[in-house]
Amino acid sequence: MIAMLLATSAVASGVSLLVGRFLCRRRVGWLLGLVPAGLFLGFLALHGTIEAGQTITERLAWAPSLGVDFSLRLDGFAYLFCLLVTGVGALVVVYADAYLVERSPEDRARFLTLILFFMTAMLGTVLADNLIVLFLFWEATSVFSFLLIGFDVDSPSARRSALMALHVTAGGGLALLAAILLIGVVLGGYSLTEVVVRAPELARSPWSVAILAGVFIGAFTKSAQFPFHFWLPNAMQAPTPASAYLHSATMVKLGIYLLARFEPVVGAVPGARDALIAVAMITMLVAAFQTIRAENYKTVLAYSTVASLGILVMLVGLNGPMASVATVGFLLAHALYKATLFFCAGTVIHATGLTKLRQMGGLWRFLPVTALASALASLSMAGLPPFFGFISKEFLFEAQIQSSWDAVPMAVAVLVNAVMVGVAGVVTLRPFFMGAHRVQDVRHKEVVGLLLGPMILALLGLVISLEPTWVNRVVLLPAVMAVYGQRVDVKVALWHGVTPMLLLSAAVVGIGALLFVFWVPLHYRLRTFTRVDRYDAEHAYDALLRRVRAVARGIAERLQQQDLRSQLGVIFFAVVAFLIWALITLGRGPRFPASVGAVRVGPALLALVGLAGGIAATWARSLLAAMIATGLAGLVAALTFLVNGAPDLALTQFAVESLVVVLLTVALLALPLDAPTTRSPRARRGDAALAAGLSVILFIALLDMAAAPQQNTVSAFFGARSYLDAFGRNVVNVILVDFRGFDTLGETTVIALSAVIAWSLLGPRVSIEDGSGGARRSVFVLEFASPVFFWLLAVLSVVVLLRGHNQIGGGFVGGLMGALAFAIVALTHGVDRARKRLRFHPLTLAGVGLLLAVASGLPGLVAHGDYLRHVWIEANVFGVHVKQGTALLFDVGVYLAVLGTVLAFLFGLTREAEA
Amino acid sequence: MTVLYAFVAAGLFGCGLYMVLSRHAVRMMLGLSLLTTAVNLVLFQAGRIRTAQPPLIPEGAERLGESADPLPQALVLTAIVIGFALTVILAALVLRAWRSQRTLRSDELRSAQDLGSPLTPGPDLDH
Repeated sequence: MIAMLLATSAVASGVSLLVGRFLCRRRVGWLLGLVPAGLFLGFLALHGTIEAGQTITERLAWAPSLGVDFSLRLDGFAYLFCLLVTGVGALVVVYADAYLVERSPEDRARFLTLILFFMTAMLGTVLADNLIVLFLFWEATSVFSFLLIGFDVDSPSARRSALMALHVTAGGGLALLAAILLIGVVLGGYSLTEVVVRAPELARSPWSVAILAGVFIGAFTKSAQFPFHFWLPNAMQAPTPASAYLHSATMVKLGIYLLARFEPVVGAVPGARDALIAVAMITMLVAAFQTIRAENYKTVLAYSTVASLGILVMLVGLNGPMASVATVGFLLAHALYKATLFFCAGTVIHATGLTKLRQMGGLWRFLPVTALASALASLSMAGLPPFFGFISKEFLFEAQIQSSWDAVPMAVAVLVNAVMVGVAGVVTLRPFFMGAHRVQDVRHKEVVGLLLGPMILALLGLVISLEPTWVNRVVLLPAVMAVYGQRVDVKVALWHGVTPMLLLSAAVVGIGALLFVFWVPLHYRLRTFTRVDRYDAEHAYDALLRRVRAVARGIAERLQQQDLRSQLGVIFFAVVAFLIWALITLGRGPRFPASVGAVRVGPALLALVGLAGGIAATWARSLLAAMIATGLAGLVAALTFLVNGAPDLALTQFAVESLVVVLLTVALLALPLDAPTTRSPRARRGDAALAAGLSVILFIALLDMAAAPQQNTVSAFFGARSYLDAFGRNVVNVILVDFRGFDTLGETTVIALSAVIAWSLLGPRVSIEDGSGGARRSVFVLEFASPVFFWLLAVLSVVVLLRGHNQIGGGFVGGLMGALAFAIVALTHGVDRARKRLRFHPLTLAGVGLLLAVASGLPGLVAHGDYLRHVWIEANVFGVHVKQGTALLFDVGVYLAVLGTVLAFLFGLTREAEA
Repeated sequence: MTVLYAFVAAGLFGCGLYMVLSRHAVRMMLGLSLLTTAVNLVLFQAGRIRTAQPPLIPEGAERLGESADPLPQALVLTAIVIGFALTVILAALVLRAWRSQRTLRSDELRSAQDLGSPLTPGPDLDH
């Protein structure tokens, strides 16, 4: 069931982009809002199980060998998050549609899709039982947060803020991953349930501090705790619906979620609770200070959110059952009122185009319902009865009194809550009810889409406290039970009599009222403390980023010199070093063949001639000489293939060497042939040493390979099945067209693409008719021999192609030979004659060949369900037994592709050289 | 024979490498061509050099008898053609470079560097 819900969410998110772009371009939010609303109802339907205190678990195999299962688990605490995420999600989608009314349908569709994907990631995070799965969804929320903050891709500040949020939250996620992997080392598994059950074991392990540090960093970055808090106020660059959803109601609570899940471990490791409370207190104080200094509507809300998150972290740090009650209560209360306030802020900014609080005033005349919602939410935030915020604040103080801590956290909590009261007054009274002269007109009036979200959430904050039974039974009690581990009797009521909590609440409201009255002078007074900005964490972040970039540049500039030769030198040197290191750590010396074996004089001398060619190529001053020496080495390779049982290779290599001579001569004749040395004698010696080093290593490796026992089961299989299964006697050709047909198809594609590259690189486009052949000096012998050679080679190439399956030959060799035929024509009569004789465009030839090769696999797909499994037909034509298959079609495709490619090279190079 | 072939393949590899390290574009191209040849020889030797009998199933037989190993041959065959295509593409690049820059020294072909370093912070990164 929960896996189904998660999958539905993911699929619907993907589809929503198409819906928004093509199906329903206007008012798409109402339609897409059905997705989270439906999921909300789906989760609500599970309430019976959750109420009974049970946990739903589901498991799908994913990577069992790594101990990673896609295991999901829904308990009371996750249930609270699921309801929040889907419920608020539905309202956000509807609100965003109205908020983005001026944007294009494409933009709206993109935004809503991101929101829905984010929702999926959130659900995945809180439903995951496997920590690896949790981590993946956790990072996904960071990525979607990044995309939503940077939604206005044209705004540099939005991009910067998005990147900052990603650096901080995704970076913290990496710390979390480290912690998760360590947990895997200690517990031998990644189950979150196991972590809770075996918390003492984790706490006793030597990794306990590292694990908690990773978890803390992950949670602190996500939940904007000091010193990582700075990304959240910057994240206000996101469109306001995203701020309401991600950066107040849901995503930033994930850190709290994680800490609450790890609470048993936190409690078992000495000092961990103190660390949490210390960080929380610093966060609360810094956030309170910055809240008063902030000018922008959304920034005030953002810093007050940071402070609220601090309160939540502190509550996780406190011990005792009331701490869990207060965590759950405040989580819910804060989500309700803060999302409402963001909605209202969005409506105000949307309506007025203003962002600074001091510019606003008297807006209740234009936005009366929004003003009402804001007022309701503010009253809840201020913790006044009869709102839910009041009840959650009572819980908070009760938790503090009950826990074993001294008065310092209590004092901080009172102060910060007083600031909240002030904020509540500032964000409602100032823009809506005071300073009526400041705003005279608005651009947009309220519409239903903008009102639905804030009104529902604001009223919920009132309804829950007046009629708490249902919410208490279905949501709060199970959540508390899941966090605390056992049942806690929560009494949700407005009136408990005169208690210490009530007195503390009264003190908070009193101080808060004073703060509100003196808010403006205090605001200006605190803004003058510009000195503190220098110690801001954001500056540290900027400095760190600059430093990282400078170091990266330094390394790159040192290693990546602007000279290709030195760069290659670094690479080859590294290769040599790694190989030597590998040889040393191998643990055994290289093997050598037992005996040198019989030396055949002819082939041995031949091989040495090839080596001499290679050496000569390095010495040659003239490029033409170097080319010929290189060709010598190639020819020797061909002969070596021939005398060692590889006539196919020999034929191919011969054809290639001939073509290389033709093509490279064409190219080289357009270049200066005398090439002075480009390296100093010292550099040459260094290069020679490097080359010799790699050479020696290769020699040793080859000897070792020769001495190793041969594994030739694959070759034996091909040899045994070649005729029986693929009806071919030339095993090499059968491997190419049948057994490894897919490989060959890939290689044919590479070859055909190289034709396209060469053709687009080379020379101006001249059609066959325009090309003026020009007067060529004709060579009598060539002129006489050319037609003979052309027809001989052309016919031979086709013969080689056709008999390739059973005798020496095949598509590759055939194609090369066919190209040689045209090369002879080009040499004799110029390239234009060759083009005329071909009639087709060489690229057409290559393309048709490739298509033929691709198509030859289709009959097999139809007949056997296997692509490139060849289909054979036997027939008796005029008494001659014929057996042909799609393998031939494949080889013809290869033939055409190679022919077209080589001709594209030939024509292109000639054209460029003669241009 | 095995030792000799290993020696020749390794030697050709070294020659190719030495030429690739040159600053002259044509030498680099020829060096790469030599490297291809050397690597093909190495691949070929992976099947062991035993016999001059090509891997063809004789008429009348159904299975391959004693012959050279067909698998490395299939690998090398396509490698030869692809190495050839690589060499020609490099030749095309060299020709184009000479046409547009009038130099073949790799340290003087600087069009890419003149575009600026990707490491220099742009206006966006510097906010």
